[in-house]
Amino acid sequence: MKSASRRRKALAALKKETDRALTEQIRRLLALPMNKRTHFLRVRLPNGGSTL
Amino acid sequence: MNGEAVIERVAAALNKCRLEAVLIGNAGAALQGAPVTTLDFDFMFRKTPANLRKLKRLARELNGCVLRPYYPVSSLYRLAVDESGLQLDFMSRIHGVRSFESLRSRASEVTFWGHRLLVASLQDIVASKRAAGRERDKAALVILQKTLDEKRKQKA
Repeated sequence: MKSASRRRKALAALKKETDRALTEQIRRLLALPMNKRTHFLRVRLPNGGSTL
Repeated sequence: MNGEAVIERVAAALNKCRLEAVLIGNAGAALQGAPVTTLDFDFMFRKTPANLRKLKRLARELNGCVLRPYYPVSSLYRLAVDESGLQLDFMSRIHGVRSFESLRSRASEVTFWGHRLLVASLQDIVASKRAAGRERDKAALVILQKTLDEKRKQKA
């Protein structure tokens, strides 16, 4: 029981941290002018797949 | 990868061919501030004989060719450039958007080295992805909605 509750708490903390990091990333991007928000293009690789 | 040079090339070619198209999809969402990535550029345009001629001219300008991969099921026009892997999809109808005129009226104009590009509003991009209801859009929708909320918060 104790470990299940600890796991729930850890997962909740992880979710909170993920949300915070995403919000930070969005705020950083919104602070840039639109024509500088250009780091989004992925490139196709010759053998399939893609990379940033 | 920083797509600035690619976007500038596309915007310059669109301007040169005088083809009016609005950038939608994840590329549009990224320019609107959402932390998403994409392989291609999606555009909405008016499907008129004149614009189809301009689309062919655009393909020549970018050293690519126009394909219709899902004909006759879809009216998608795909401009593919083999040498660079660049892919531009042009659609005359998209889910969740009533008309090109309504999309255009809410779009933002962005300038890349003097070449203007119309980018759909994030609200329209979210509406279109939500209406399409595709599995692959679900993860991105969470991020797009969060970006939209953040933009609204900053405006208020």
